Amino acid sequence: MNQKLTDWFKLDNSGKIFPEVSNQRETNTFRVQVALTEEVDSDILQMATEGILERYPMFKVRMKHGMFWNYLDYNTKPFLIQPMTHEVCSALNPRENNCYLFKVLYRNNMIAIEMFHSLADGGGVVMLLQSLVYEYLKLKGYNVTPDNIIKTKYERPVAEEYEDANEKYYNAKNRKHVPEQRAYRIKGTMLPDNLTGLISGTMDTGKVLELARSKNLTMTEYFSALAMDVIYNTQIRYRTHLKSNQAPVKIFVPVNLRKHFPSETLRNFSNFVKTNLVLDRDDITLEELFEHTHESFQNGMIKEELIRKMSENVAFEKNVLLRFMPYFIKRYALKIGYNMLGMKLNTMSMTNIGRVVFPPSMEPYIKDVTAAVAAGKYNAVNCAILSYKDQLKISFTRSILETNIEREFFRHFTEKGLDLKVESNFVEEFV
Amino acid sequence: MKHCDKCNITIETKQQYCPLCHQVLSGESNADARETYPDYISPRRMFLPTTKKVILFLTILSIVILIVINWADFDGRYWSLIPIGGIIYFWFLVRVGLFSKRNIGFRFASLTVLLILLLILIDYEGQSQIHGWSIDYMLPLLLMTCNLAISATIWIRLLDYRDYFLYLLVIILFSLAPIILVLTGITTVSWPAIAAFGVAIAILLFIVFFFPKKIKEEIKKRFHA
Repeated sequence: MNQKLTDWFKLDNSGKIFPEVSNQRETNTFRVQVALTEEVDSDILQMATEGILERYPMFKVRMKHGMFWNYLDYNTKPFLIQPMTHEVCSALNPRENNCYLFKVLYRNNMIAIEMFHSLADGGGVVMLLQSLVYEYLKLKGYNVTPDNIIKTKYERPVAEEYEDANEKYYNAKNRKHVPEQRAYRIKGTMLPDNLTGLISGTMDTGKVLELARSKNLTMTEYFSALAMDVIYNTQIRYRTHLKSNQAPVKIFVPVNLRKHFPSETLRNFSNFVKTNLVLDRDDITLEELFEHTHESFQNGMIKEELIRKMSENVAFEKNVLLRFMPYFIKRYALKIGYNMLGMKLNTMSMTNIGRVVFPPSMEPYIKDVTAAVAAGKYNAVNCAILSYKDQLKISFTRSILETNIEREFFRHFTEKGLDLKVESNFVEEFV
Repeated sequence: MKHCDKCNITIETKQQYCPLCHQVLSGESNADARETYPDYISPRRMFLPTTKKVILFLTILSIVILIVINWADFDGRYWSLIPIGGIIYFWFLVRVGLFSKRNIGFRFASLTVLLILLLILIDYEGQSQIHGWSIDYMLPLLLMTCNLAISATIWIRLLDYRDYFLYLLVIILFSLAPIILVLTGITTVSWPAIAAFGVAIAILLFIVFFFPKKIKEEIKKRFHA
């Protein structure tokens, strides 16, 4: 496979909407971060990044405007790593970033990648980060091996990594549009200057899994139901007569479609399942929410339903009217459409990246792994979950000052006797 | 390690409060403990924001005054358009021409087009007896200059040639306009139009002969639907 075969890429289906609807507050970026057991050497990290970008031409791109759609074009400018600042998942600044659509950040013993969602989803970024850390440790002179888990820079990129898998698996016959109701929005005091708060808690994976299994649930189902319960208890209960509290609480959970369809793509290939329940009684119990969550996730995960949701989006993109509308008009059409339909459909997003595996030879150098997604005006509190070895790390990002959702969420586990170690960026001290 | 008795959590920090419940933490942090996340740094101040505001205010104020005077003393001519056009062009020159980090091809092309429009405005709204100089001389000669400027840029910065290709093509297309004006008899002076046409065709032929694949690909990228 010749890597110079093409030096530009069409945006994938989900990637097309993000450039139009992103701004300083709704940044649509997310972060995956590795803490090593030793200090990060920024010069070696810069070298490792440059080496890895040759392996992943998919990420060595900048966005350009075409007549009808944006596209990703090969970026000739050098990529520069940056020291981490107080900003979490902030908007990408093309000027300080040479127009790249992702950042590599370092601080003390941490390496982080912040990615714009047009380019890849969580699965793709984890692969990139694994390669980067491997390359870094290799350049440091440690004896690490890839063990077929990690793509190294000595391999050639393959075409499957760039494919738009949505387009491949969509079915034009199964694309019924199901209208949705506006979701409940978490209330709070917005943080100024587009600041984002980050609080993460680390627990033992086995114990949490035991807890979920005891209710016959998966971990994601358990967390989603718990998040609903926390939102209900802190924001809705005994205030159900208010009009705004009668909207359904919807926890948006991305589904990694690579596990459901045979695809190796690095680009966006995910869909979602959602909880959807109006919490308008004063006596809703956690058990009830467990049941609802389990049921709606089971139904959402059926293959026909996943294909339907995928095809709904692809069909929208293939609409002749939209397709041949010049870009400068289309961007406003997309923006208005998203503001009316897309943005307000979720209360909270809860991303479960799953287990991140490193080869045994690398594990002694890696302390923990963290993920975080951007929080905005409508999804004021978001959550990202990830496990590495026996540590389960739950990270909440928020655009509001209040922390009662995080507090109640974590207290649920500490009350059950689990040990919880917390990290925070103490955003409340900034203002 | 510090501990919050209320939330029953442990945390490694030099801060005094629990991030979840904002109660005082108990225990001592390790001597070599560091904050996980960096401290707040206030964002950089923008380039002289007050100066910019003052200039913008004066600009808009003068535009309003010009319109008011023109309207109050209206004699069938919209003379205020000329200074207003000049002011707007000045703003574009500063914003796009000097302080913008945008693609230089875009800056050349947009400023040229704006300058041509401004000159046509001055030509036909001005009090001079001689009309048509803007279309006869300025239009073809400015397009020709722009053509040469973008070509020179591509020549000097060959690495980023793809960034400028499109603007070059647009200006080449525009350069064919004066020759049409000559052929239809709208303009009487033909030599500037012919010169501009010649330069445009020469550059176009050069691209077609030496970069046929690249130009094809660039067009494919820009026009995929």
